[in-house]
Amino acid sequence: MAAHPKSIPNTQPSYLEGGGLAGWLATADHKRIAVLYGASALVFMAVGGMEAMLIRAQLWQPDNNLVSAATFNMLFTMHGTTMVFLVVMPLLLGFFGNFMIPLQIGARDVAFPRLNALSFWLAIAAAIVLHLGWIRGGLPNAGWFGYANLTELYYSPDLAIDWWVLGLLISGTSTVLTGLNFLTTIVTMRAPGMTYLRMPMFIWALMVTSILILIAFPPLTVGLIFLLMDRFFGTHFYVATAGATPILWQHLFWLFGHPEVYIMALPAFGIISEIIPAFSRKPLFGYPMMAYSIALIAFLSYGVWGHHMFATGMGPVADSAFAITSMLIAIPTGVKIFSWIATIWGGSLRMTVAFYFALGMILEFTIGGLSGIMHASAPVDLQQTDSYFVVAHFHYVLFGGVMFTILGAFYYWWPKITGRMLDERLGKIQFWLTVIGFNGTFFPMHFLGMWGMPRRIYTYGADMGWTTLNQFETLSAFVLGFSFLIFYFNIARSLIWGERAPADPWDGRGLEWSVPSPPPVYNFAKIPAIRGRDAWWIIKYGRAGSRGIAAYVSGRPPAMPEAEPLDVSGIHMPAQSYFPIVLALGIVLAALGLIIEWYRIIAMGVLVAIVSVIGMGFEYPGYGKEVHDPEHAPSAGEVDVRKVGVWSFIGSECVFFASLISTFIVYKSRSIGAPGPEILEIPLTSVSTFILLMSSLLMVLALAATQRGDARWQKIWLGGTIAFGMIFLAGQVYEFTHFYDEGMGLSTNLFSQSFYTMVGFHGAHVAIGVIWLSALMAAALMGRLDSSRALSVELAGLYWHFVDVVWIVIFTLVYLMQTVKGG
Amino acid sequence: MSEQAGTQAAHEQARHPGTATYLIIAAFLVVLTAMEITVFYVHALRPVLVPLLLILAAAKFALVAMFYMHLKYDDWLLSGIFVFPLIIAAVLLTSLVLLFAYLSHHLAPIA
Amino acid sequence: MKLSPSAAWTVALLALAGCSQSPEPPMTTLAPKSDLADWIYRLFLEVTAWDALIFAIVIVAFILAVFVFSTRVGEAAPPAAPSSDLALEIAWTAGPALVLLMISIPTVRTIFRSQPPNPPANALEIKVTAHQWWWEFEYPGGLKTANELHIPLGRPIRLHLESADIIHSFWVPELGGKRDVVPGQINELTFVATVPGMYPGQCAEFCGLSHANMRMRVFVDSPDDFAKWNNAQIAAPAAPAANDQLAAYGAKIFVDSPCTACHTIDGVSKGYIGPNLTHFGSRTTLAAGLLQNNPMNVAHWISDPEEIKPGANMPALLLPGHKLDALTAYLESLK
Repeated sequence: MAAHPKSIPNTQPSYLEGGGLAGWLATADHKRIAVLYGASALVFMAVGGMEAMLIRAQLWQPDNNLVSAATFNMLFTMHGTTMVFLVVMPLLLGFFGNFMIPLQIGARDVAFPRLNALSFWLAIAAAIVLHLGWIRGGLPNAGWFGYANLTELYYSPDLAIDWWVLGLLISGTSTVLTGLNFLTTIVTMRAPGMTYLRMPMFIWALMVTSILILIAFPPLTVGLIFLLMDRFFGTHFYVATAGATPILWQHLFWLFGHPEVYIMALPAFGIISEIIPAFSRKPLFGYPMMAYSIALIAFLSYGVWGHHMFATGMGPVADSAFAITSMLIAIPTGVKIFSWIATIWGGSLRMTVAFYFALGMILEFTIGGLSGIMHASAPVDLQQTDSYFVVAHFHYVLFGGVMFTILGAFYYWWPKITGRMLDERLGKIQFWLTVIGFNGTFFPMHFLGMWGMPRRIYTYGADMGWTTLNQFETLSAFVLGFSFLIFYFNIARSLIWGERAPADPWDGRGLEWSVPSPPPVYNFAKIPAIRGRDAWWIIKYGRAGSRGIAAYVSGRPPAMPEAEPLDVSGIHMPAQSYFPIVLALGIVLAALGLIIEWYRIIAMGVLVAIVSVIGMGFEYPGYGKEVHDPEHAPSAGEVDVRKVGVWSFIGSECVFFASLISTFIVYKSRSIGAPGPEILEIPLTSVSTFILLMSSLLMVLALAATQRGDARWQKIWLGGTIAFGMIFLAGQVYEFTHFYDEGMGLSTNLFSQSFYTMVGFHGAHVAIGVIWLSALMAAALMGRLDSSRALSVELAGLYWHFVDVVWIVIFTLVYLMQTVKGG
Repeated sequence: MSEQAGTQAAHEQARHPGTATYLIIAAFLVVLTAMEITVFYVHALRPVLVPLLLILAAAKFALVAMFYMHLKYDDWLLSGIFVFPLIIAAVLLTSLVLLFAYLSHHLAPIA
Repeated sequence: MKLSPSAAWTVALLALAGCSQSPEPPMTTLAPKSDLADWIYRLFLEVTAWDALIFAIVIVAFILAVFVFSTRVGEAAPPAAPSSDLALEIAWTAGPALVLLMISIPTVRTIFRSQPPNPPANALEIKVTAHQWWWEFEYPGGLKTANELHIPLGRPIRLHLESADIIHSFWVPELGGKRDVVPGQINELTFVATVPGMYPGQCAEFCGLSHANMRMRVFVDSPDDFAKWNNAQIAAPAAPAANDQLAAYGAKIFVDSPCTACHTIDGVSKGYIGPNLTHFGSRTTLAAGLLQNNPMNVAHWISDPEEIKPGANMPALLLPGHKLDALTAYLESLK
C-alpha cells in the first residue's frame, strides 16, 4: 500500500493522543472538532437512513398501514431535515472541511478556534432541540421546507413546529459561524506562496461555499423569526386573513434553500476535483475554469430560487426569468463534468474505492443535472414538481452527487484522519451494492412521477398502477441500506484491526499528505513554502506534473525533501475552552424549560448562554487569532483575521436587513386599516438620524485618539459615542410607546408588525453596539486601551458604522418614502 | 502579540484619514441629510422623490463606508466581502418588491 | 421532427424500467387529454431529447476516458496529456449554452401561451376552493358541487383557484400541469379538454395529515352530456320516492342530525363547512375521491371518518344500524 517513503518520521504524538475526555469536550483543535462532527454525523446518518427505510416500507403496497399518517409525516420531515442539516453539511463542512482546510492551505488551525468549537456544540444543541419532540409535542411534521401557513399555530398547534423553528435557528447560527470562520481562514491564513489560483479545488469550493452561507442563511433566519413571532407573539406574517401571504415564507425559504443546494454540492465538487487527479495521476484539467465555474455557480444560485415556485403563480415574466437563470446554471456545471472526464483522459488510473465513488458520482450526478434542466423549463416543471419525479431528481443530485462524494471522501481521507486504512475489498462490495440499491430506489421514481404519484403521500390507491415500481424501490432501498451496514462495519473494522496508514498512501498531491497520518496537533512542524498548484506533488517530484508520472512509473524514487531535525516547542496551539459546550448546554436547558413550561428554567438556560458568550469574550486577552505562530505573523499590509471576520459578519447582516426591509415594503401596501405609514413622524426621527450620524463621527474620532495614544480624548469621544447611541435608543423607546399609546400594537396589522420587527432589530443592534462600546470604555478607564489595541476600537467602530448605514437606509426607505406604495 | 499589534497599529494609523477628513465627511453627511428632509417636505419634488432620495441615501451610505469604515484605505478584499453581499441584498430587495407587485393583482377578497 | 425519436426514447426507457404496467396509468402525464397538457408533453419530449443527446455524449466521453484513453497505474505511462485546452473548454461551454438556448425558446413561448391574462372567449369559468381535505367547485349561476368536476369537451375552461385554509395544489395530470392554491390569492388555470373521459387528480402540495386523501375526479363530457348533467344539478334535489320509506325516514334523520350544521342540501339545510350534498347520489365517489360511492362505503364513512381520512373535520355519527341504513338510503337517493 505504501507508495513511497514518508517525508517526516512519525515520532511526534498525533492529535488523537492525550487529554482524556476533557481534551475532547473543551477542545479547540480543528482536527478534534472535525472528528466530533464526523462521529455525530455518522450517528444521525443512521437515524435519517432508518427513517428512509420506514418511509419505503410504508409505501410497499397500496393502502398500507404499517405507520400512521401522522408518523409518516414526521418521518419524511425528519428524514429531510436530518440529512440536510445534521448529516450532509456537518460531514462536508464540519468533518472534511474542518479537518482539511488548515492541512491543505498549510496552517496550524482555523482563524477562530474557539468559535469553531462553538459551531460544533451549537450544531449538537440544534440536533437535540430538533428531536425534543420525542418527549413532548411530537417530531416536526410539516416537511423539511415547512411551508407556511400549515406551520401556523392554528393548523399546527403542537410544539412540533416550535422545535423545528428553534432547531433550525440554532443550526443556522452554527453554520453561519462556520462560514465566517472558514472564509476568514482561507483568505488570511494560507501558507506563503499559495495564491488564490494555487489553492486546492476543495479550498476554492469551501471559500465560495462560505460566502454562500453568509448570504443565504439570513433570509431563512428572518423567515423563521417571523414564524416564531406568529406562533409566540400573535403576529400574522403568513396569515392570509390579515392580508399577509404565505408565499413570503416560500420566497425567504428558497432564497436560502436553493443556495443551500450548492452549499452541499460545491464542497462535493471540490472533493471530486481532489480525488480524480489523485487517482488519475494527472493535474486537474482546466483548473482556472474549474475555479471560476464554482464562483459562477454560487453567484447564479442566488438568482434561481423561484424555480421551486413555478406552480405558485408568479406570472409569466417571473417564470421566464427564473427559467432562464436556472438553465444558465447548467453551463458551469457542465464545464465541471467535462473537465473531470478530461482529467481522467490520458491518466494513469489507480482503481481504488475512492476513485470508484468519484467515477460513480460523475454519472449519477449527470443524471440529476439533466433532470434538473427539465425542472428549469417551467411548463415541464408544472407536471413534475411535488411529484416523485422531483424526489428522483434531488436524490440523484444529493445522493448520487453529494453522498457518493462523501463516501469517496471517507475512503480517500480516512487514512489521514485516523491513521488507519479502510478495507478496499469491502469497499468495492459496498460500492456496487450502493450503485445497485441507489439506482434501483431512485430511477423508477422518475416514472412514478410521470405517472402522477405526488410526493409526501403516506398511502395510494391500488388502481393507480404505482404498486409494482414502489415494491421494486422498497426492495432496492433495503439493498442500499445494507450497503451502509457494510460501510459502518468497514469503519469499525478499520478502527479496531485496520492496517496502519502511511503519511501518503495514495501518492497524493495536496499538502495534507506531507504530514504524518494522523497529523500532529500542530499540523506542520514548519510551514511549507508553496511554489505552485499541487504543492506536495511539486515538493516530491519537482515542478512538472507529468514528469512526475514518468518518474513514478520508471520506479525511480522521487526526490524527497530532507527530513530536518525539527524543534516544535515554540509552537503555541489554541488553548481549551469550556465556554462553547456550556453555552450549548444553556440553550438545551432553555429548550427543556419550554417543554415543562417552567419559565425559570428557560431564563436560567438563557442566562448560562449569555454568561458563556461574555466569558468567551474575556477568556483570553486579544481574542481572535489565538494561534501565536511566529512564522505566520501578520506582515505589514496583510489583513488582520479579526477584521476579515467582522466584515464577513457585516456582509451577512446586509442580507439580514434586506430581508426585513423588503418584507416591510411589501407588507406596508398590503396592510389593512389604521395605523399606516402616515403615523411615522419625520421631525423626531430626523433628530434621531442626526444623532446617530454624529455618533459615527465621535466613533472615528475615538479611533483616531486611540491611534495617537491620546487617552483623555479617547475616553471623551468613546463616552460621547455611547451617550449618543443611548439618546438614539431613548428616542426609539419614546417613538414606540407613543405609537403604542395611539393604538398601534405589535400585531395590530401588517404595517405595525413589520415596522416593529424591522426597527426593533435595528434597535437591538444599536443596543449591542452600546454594550460593546461600554466594554471598551471600561478597558479604557482601566488604562488597558492603549494604541496597541487600536484594532479593538476599530472593530467595534466597523460594527457601529454599519448599524449607522442601516439606519441611513431605513430612514430613507421607511420614513421619507412613507407615501410611496411598495410591492 | 502587543509588539506586533503595535507595529500594525502604527501602520494603519498612517493609512487612516485624520481628524480633518472625518469632520469634512461629517459636514457632508449633515448637509445630505438636511437635503433629504427638504426633499421630503417640498411638494414640487414629489414626482422625483424616489430617485432623489435614493441618490442622497446612497451618497451618505458610500461616505460612511468609504471613510468611517476605511474601505477606501483598506485592502480591496474587505471591500469585496462587503460589496458582494450588498449587491445581493439590493437584488433581493428589488426582486421581492417586483414579485409581490405582480401578486397584488391577484389578491383574493378577504373573508 | 424531433418528436418521434425522443418519443421512441421515452418508450425505450419505459420498457427498460421493466414494468408490466398498463401503458397508461390513470394519472399519467404522458397521455395528454387537453391542449395545455399537450403543450407541456411536447416540450417535455423536446427537453428529453436534448438531455438524451447530452447524456450520450457524457457516457461516450466517460467510457473512452476510463477504458480506452488511459492506462492503469504500473502499466506503461500514457502519452503526456495536456492539463488544459482552450478550444475544448470553449466548446463545452458554448455547446451546452446553445442547447439551453434551444430549450429556452419553446419554454418561454409555452409559459406565455399557457398563462393568458384574461379568460378566452366563451370560457366556462369555475371557482375551485380547496379545503383540508376536499375540493369545492362553484359554477356560474351558483351551482356547487364537490370533489367531482364536470366540464364540457372542446370549450375553454378557466379555473379560479382559491383556498379556504392552507396551501394546496390542483393537479389533474392528464389535463395539464399543477397550479398551487394559495390562501389570499387567486390563481388561474386555463385549458381546453380534447378527449372525453374520467381523469383522476390529487392535491399535490403537502397540506397536513390527510394530504394523501385529498383526491378528485374530472369528467370531460360531450357538450350534450354536460348540458344534461348541468340541468340535473341545478334542479332541486329529488325528494325520496313515495314507495321508498327507508329513504324518507333517512331524510327525517338527516334534518334532525348534526349533519345540517356543515352540509347543504338545497331546501333542506344550509351548512357550508363541508361539501354540498344536494346531488350526492349522482357522484361516483365520496370522501374526496377515496371510496366508491355505494351504500356500504357511505355507512362506513358516516360511522368512522377518522379511520378513512385521519384528521378529517367530520365527526363520527354514532347511529344504530337501522338509522344508519336509512340515512345512507336517503343520501344515495339524492341523484
